[in-house]
Amino acid sequence: MSNNRDLLPRESLLWIFAAQFVALLPQLAQLPLWIAFAWAFAVYWRLEVFRGRRDLPGRPLKFLVILLTVAGLALSYQRWFALEPMVALLALSFTLKNLELVSRRDAFVSLLLAYFVAATLFVREQSIPYALYGLISVLVITAALAAQLGSFSARPRRALGLSVRLLAQATPLMLLLFVVMPRLGPLWNVPQDTSAGRTGVSDSMAPGDFTRLSKSAEPALRIAFDGPIPPPEQRYWRGLVYSEFDGRTWRQGFGVDPRNGGQVYWKSGERPLPQVGPRYRYRVIQEASRSPWLFALARPASDSAGVGETLDDRLVKRTPLYSRFAYDVRSWPRDPQAVPIPLSSAERRRNLQLPADGNERTRAWVERLRRKGLGAEAISSQLLARYHREFTYTLSPPALGRDSVDAFLFDSQKGFCEHFAGSYVFTMRAAGVPARVVAGYQGGEWVSGEKYLLVREYDAHAWAEIWLDGRGWQRVDPTAAVSPERVRNGLESAAGEEFMRDSLLPVHRIDALVKLRLQWDMINYRWYQTVVSFDSEKQRDTLQRLLGDISPLRMALFFAAPVAVVLLAMLLWTRLGSRGRRRPAVERLYGVFCRRMARAGIARRAGEAPRDYAERISAAKPHLAEFAERVTQTFERAAYGGEASALKELRYLLRWRLLLLPRVPINKNKLAGQ
Amino acid sequence: MKVTRESAQQAQPKTLRHFFRRLGERWLSRRAPRARAITLNHSRLFILPTRAGLGYLLVVAVLWLLATNYENNLVFALTFLLISVFVILPVHTFANLSGLRLQLLSTEPAFAGDFAEAKINLSREDKREREWIQVHWPTEEGAYVDLCEERSADFRVALPVLERGRVQAPRLRVESRFPLGLFRCWSRIDLDVEFLVYPRPLAGGPLPLGEALVEGESGPVRRGGDDYASLKPYQPGDSLRHLAWKQYAAGRDLYSKEYESRTDTRLWLDWALLDGRDVETRLSNLCHWALQAEKQGIAYGLRVPGTTLPPSLGMEHQQRVLGALALFPKWDG
Repeated sequence: MSNNRDLLPRESLLWIFAAQFVALLPQLAQLPLWIAFAWAFAVYWRLEVFRGRRDLPGRPLKFLVILLTVAGLALSYQRWFALEPMVALLALSFTLKNLELVSRRDAFVSLLLAYFVAATLFVREQSIPYALYGLISVLVITAALAAQLGSFSARPRRALGLSVRLLAQATPLMLLLFVVMPRLGPLWNVPQDTSAGRTGVSDSMAPGDFTRLSKSAEPALRIAFDGPIPPPEQRYWRGLVYSEFDGRTWRQGFGVDPRNGGQVYWKSGERPLPQVGPRYRYRVIQEASRSPWLFALARPASDSAGVGETLDDRLVKRTPLYSRFAYDVRSWPRDPQAVPIPLSSAERRRNLQLPADGNERTRAWVERLRRKGLGAEAISSQLLARYHREFTYTLSPPALGRDSVDAFLFDSQKGFCEHFAGSYVFTMRAAGVPARVVAGYQGGEWVSGEKYLLVREYDAHAWAEIWLDGRGWQRVDPTAAVSPERVRNGLESAAGEEFMRDSLLPVHRIDALVKLRLQWDMINYRWYQTVVSFDSEKQRDTLQRLLGDISPLRMALFFAAPVAVVLLAMLLWTRLGSRGRRRPAVERLYGVFCRRMARAGIARRAGEAPRDYAERISAAKPHLAEFAERVTQTFERAAYGGEASALKELRYLLRWRLLLLPRVPINKNKLAGQ
Repeated sequence: MKVTRESAQQAQPKTLRHFFRRLGERWLSRRAPRARAITLNHSRLFILPTRAGLGYLLVVAVLWLLATNYENNLVFALTFLLISVFVILPVHTFANLSGLRLQLLSTEPAFAGDFAEAKINLSREDKREREWIQVHWPTEEGAYVDLCEERSADFRVALPVLERGRVQAPRLRVESRFPLGLFRCWSRIDLDVEFLVYPRPLAGGPLPLGEALVEGESGPVRRGGDDYASLKPYQPGDSLRHLAWKQYAAGRDLYSKEYESRTDTRLWLDWALLDGRDVETRLSNLCHWALQAEKQGIAYGLRVPGTTLPPSLGMEHQQRVLGALALFPKWDG
C-alpha cells in the first residue's frame, strides 16, 4: 500500500489545481460550459475530501459520473473525429482524475495530462500571445511538478523559481533541437480545429455582407513580393466568382463552385501558362478563414502543395483553411493572349443567367439603351457615367425592397461595393453581355518596415467582369466610377467619417495607435515567418547558412561540438566539484604525513585522534617514533594553537622527511623484525 | 549469523541470483568502502529515470506526434523544451546529492523485534541548497532531510532488528528525486553502522525475589551459618551475632565474621532459575526481569554462564546487564 509520504499534502493538491486551471483557462471559451462546472465541482469535492468532510466517490458513483460525462460529450459534439471533442475529452479526463487524486502517481498523471492540454492550445492558434500564454502554463505545470516533492519545494516562490531556472537552462538546447530536428510531415490525417478563424469573404453575396466586413480591421492577407509591386489601383485580390443570381443573393452556382462541378487543375502545368507579359511573384499568408478560397491577382499559378487553379482564374485550396496558410503565386494580370478562347455556350448561358422576372425598371432601361443600338462597351460606360453623376458611396446604405436592383438604381442610389457590382452585372446581363461578380480584397497597406502588403478585412471588395468578344474577360470596377479614392487609397479615405464608426476604439483616428498597430502586425509577421512557418525547406536554408554546406561530416560536427562541450563541462564539474572546499594547509600537511605512514604500514583509522595515532606508530615502529611524535606535536600546535611558525615547521619537517623516508628501508626493517 | 540464515533460505534455485547479488555487493564494497564518514561523489552516485520520468517521455513522444501531424511549430518547440528539460534534469538531481557528507554519530541499542536507530549527520560544505534527501534502509521509510538554510542536520534512521547480538546494518540508501521527481539519484553507502541488540523481553513469571539462595560457584554446598571465611573490621550496624568474640577476647580489635554461605537476600537474575527453557527464551526472560527490577527500583544482579554482575541499580548497570545478555554466545546447531 502507499505509505504516508505518498499521500498528497495540501500544497501539492493546490499546485495541481493551479496547473489544471492554467491549462484549461484558454480552452474554456471553446469548450462547453458544463465542462468548466464539472471541473470546478471536482476540485471542490477533492478539497472537501481533504478537509475530511467527504469521502472520495465510490466505484458505483465514479461509474455514474463517467457515464454522465460520456453522455455529455456525445450531446455536445456530434462528431468525434475532430479536435474540440478530443480536447474536451482530455479536459474531462483530468477533471475525473481529480476525484481519485490520492497518491503521488495520480498527481504525476494529472500533471502530464496538463502538459498535453496546454499543447493543444497551440493547435488552435500560433500567435505570439498564445505562445506566451503557453510558456506561462508550462512554467506553472513544471512548478507544480517540482512542488510535488513537498515541504520546501512547495513554496510558491521556490517552485516557480526552480521552474524558471530549469526552463531557462533548457532553452539553448531547445533552440538547437528546433533548428536541427527533422520535420517529417504529417504521418496520418488528423482532425483540424474547425472553430478557428473568421469567415472573411463568403461564398455568397447578399446586400449588407460586405458592409459587415468593412467593420473589421482584422488582418486577412499578408503579401510579400519578390520583384515588382503592383500599383494600388491594380491590387485586386480575386477570391470568388459569383455567377448565379436569384433576385437578391449572388452565388457561385453550378460549374463555378469547385464543390459543385467547377473544374480545378490541381497539378501545376496542367494548364498552359502565359509565356510573356508582366508577371508578379509573391507569397500570400492568409489567415484562417474556414473556407477553401485563396486570394491572388488575376491569372494566377501556384506550385504550393494543395493549391489548385480554377477555370475562372482563381486559386482554391483542397481543404478549408483552419490555420494560417502560406502559398507562393505567380500572376499575369494582363494576359496578352491575342485571341482568347471563345466562351463555350454553357459558360455564356451561365454568365447571362437572370431570374425570370423582377427588377422590371432596370430591364426596361436597358431595353431602351439597346434599342438605341448601343454595344456592350457603350452600355457599360453609360451605366458607369450614371453612377458617377448620381450615386453616393456609403458604408450605411438604406435597406432595399424586393426588387433590390431597381430600388438601388432608381430610388436610393446610395450603396456599397456589393450594390454597385451587383447592379452592374445585372444590367450588363440584361443587355446580353456575359458578366460576373468577382469578390475578394482590393488594396492593402504597405508595411515598409518588413516590406509586405497588409490586407485587412475591411479591404473586402466586390467588382465585376464582363466578356468582350475578341478581348475576353475585362475587369470593370463600378465602385471606382463613384468613388475613385476607394480603389486608389482604400476604404478609409473613401468612407471618411463613416469608416469604422461603430468600433469601440477608433484606432485609425489616433496616429500613435495606428503606428503601434502596424508595429504589432510587423512583429506578428516576423513571428510567422521565422517561427510558425519554419518548415523543412527553411530548415535546410538555415542550416546551409549556418554550416555553409550540409554534408554528413559538418552535420555530425554541428551535433557533436555542443555535446562535447557540455560533457567536458560536466566532467570538469564532477572532478572539481566533488572535491569540495579546499582544506586548510595544516590538514593537508597532516594528510601527507598520514599517507606516508600508511605506506610504512600503519594506516590511520577513521576518526583516530592524532595523539593516539602517534602512540600506535611508536608502538609498532619504534624507529619512526621520534618523527611521528614531532610531527604530531607540531601539527597540534599549528592546528589548535594557531601558531604560524608551527605550520612552517611542519612543512619543513615533512618536506625534509618525505625525501628521507623511502619505502625500501622500511620494508627491510619489517622483514628484519620478523 | 545473518548470512548463514540467508544462505539457508536461498536454496539451489536462487543460487544464480545470489551469486549476482554478491558480485554486486563486492563491486560496491570496492567502489564505496565502509567508513564512518562518507562524502558522496560521482563514483558513488547512480542515476536513472523514475517511472514518472518514463511517463514524461511518453507524453513527449505523443506531443511530438501531435506536432508532426499538425505541422505545428509551437508544439514542436514545446516538445523540444520538454526534452531539453529532461536532459538537464539529471544534472540537477545529481548536484542535489553530490558533495554531501554523511557521518555516523552514534547508534543506540535496541531490543530485538524493535527498531534500532542510528543517529547520522548530513552536512554540506558548498553553497548549493539541498532538498528532499531520503536516507533509509530499503523497505523502511527512513528520514527526509532538507539542507536549505542550514549547512548540517542530524537525524535518526531506524532499522528493524530481529535478532539479539551485534548486528551489522546493511548498506544505507541515500536517495533524492529533486527537482521534478523524474529522475532518481541514489547511493548505497556503508557507514559501518553496528547495533547492539538486546534480547526481546519476554515475561517469564514474577521477579525471583528471595529465590536465589544458591551460591553460584559451590552449588549445593551448605555448611550452615557458622562457617565464616574471613574477618573484617567491625563497623557499626554489623550484626552482633557475627562479632568475633573469640578474637576480641584474645585482645585484638573488634571484628565481624564474614560468612561465605550466608543467606543472600539480594535479587539475583540467575540463568539457573530458568532451567528447562531454551537459550533464547531464557535470555528473553532475564531481559524482562532486568527491566522489571529496574522499573521497581530493586537492585539486581545477573548470573549467566561466563558472566556475573553483582547487584546494582541505574542506567549504566542496566546497560551492562542487557549488553551481557545481548552478547551471550549464540547457540548454533
